[in-house]
Amino acid sequence: MISLARPAVNALGLLTLVALFVLAVLALGVVPPDAVQGDAQRLMYVHVPAAWLAYLAFFVTAVSSALYLWPRTRQPGWDLLAGSSAEIGVIFTGLTLVLGSLWGRPVWGAWWVWDARLVTTAVLFFLYLGYLALRRVPADPDVRARRAAIAALIAFVDVPIVHFSVNWWRTLHQEATVFNPDLDAQIEGSMAWTLLFAVVAFTLAYGYLMARRVQLARLEEGREERELDAAIAARVASGSERTDLEDRVPGEGTGKGNIGDPAVAGAGEHR
Amino acid sequence: MAVIPESAPAPARGRRWIYVVAALLCVGAIAFLLLGGLRGNIVYFRTVSEAVQENDTGRLRLAGEVVPGSISETDDGVTFEVTDGNETVAVVHRGDPPDLFAEGAPVVAEGEWDDGFAAFQSDRILINHGNEYSPPDVSSEDPSAEHPS
Repeated sequence: MISLARPAVNALGLLTLVALFVLAVLALGVVPPDAVQGDAQRLMYVHVPAAWLAYLAFFVTAVSSALYLWPRTRQPGWDLLAGSSAEIGVIFTGLTLVLGSLWGRPVWGAWWVWDARLVTTAVLFFLYLGYLALRRVPADPDVRARRAAIAALIAFVDVPIVHFSVNWWRTLHQEATVFNPDLDAQIEGSMAWTLLFAVVAFTLAYGYLMARRVQLARLEEGREERELDAAIAARVASGSERTDLEDRVPGEGTGKGNIGDPAVAGAGEHR
Repeated sequence: MAVIPESAPAPARGRRWIYVVAALLCVGAIAFLLLGGLRGNIVYFRTVSEAVQENDTGRLRLAGEVVPGSISETDDGVTFEVTDGNETVAVVHRGDPPDLFAEGAPVVAEGEWDDGFAAFQSDRILINHGNEYSPPDVSSEDPSAEHPS
């Protein structure tokens, strides 16, 4: 299982924090506002990288799930990686929707429209939220991981649909600025560089969040093992207690011969 | 006696149903989005030419560019002309247009044709901006570049 050393994770966290701070300075202070949209267009520097991160996270989930399903590479670690990445993906899909909504209100004049890009993105959110719920339906660990992996591969079909929805169908949402069909980016230089930096900063954030999530999963595993040990110990203890009780039953137990006793009769009614 | 073996599986069974229900709710939400929301909206708008050709009754969305010099305010909204380069249509809009509504702006007007298809009665205007970004000082380009094609 992939796992980074603690100092490396902390260094990555610090680097992410610095990158996000620099991004905030660039996007809010350095880059000029858009000629048509004004300052509202600055939302692009968080909306686009959030969507990129969601794609990346779900791609990692899909690859990890495929590696789990492939018998030669089947390891519980791939299942854990798939689930962790999907959690981050769901959060950033939600963030993409919220930031897009905040951008749409001043520019389009609507928080939400029923166009193909927006609807398929909302579908993506619920697909992976459903996947995370499915992961938590208890079952044998291998059965659970296998059905989650199949669900993850089915859900991933929506990722290219979301991306190409603006090219395949007529949407209110604009086409991609950089990865449009003609690969002809109509964006001023400093804006393009800031957008690229934003994507790098968000990718660093993804790496950091994944590293922390895997650390957390390790701790959870340790706790589950300790709880299991404790439960076994408790059961062994109660088992020995039970034999003690059974030894004593003939003397105290079923109430035969004690019918006249009001305390015993009352207890019997409650049963 | 036997407290732990009896109570331990119970919360697990309760949790199981919570997550099964959560997963089913997600499936329901997806069905709602696709069947309730997206159906009929896959083609989000008609160009002016298409709308003129089809002459459909009922609600539709009309996309084009606001003809410069055609905007005039009325008591309860604005009237303007919208064009796609081939056809031009008069739009009577009730309500406040969005902030970016201006001459040459690419708009999507939602509403229906009036009797005789003389004008388009709109009650909602959206701005259909393009994927091009530039700072204000280099912005005096042909606005038709942003026109939806």
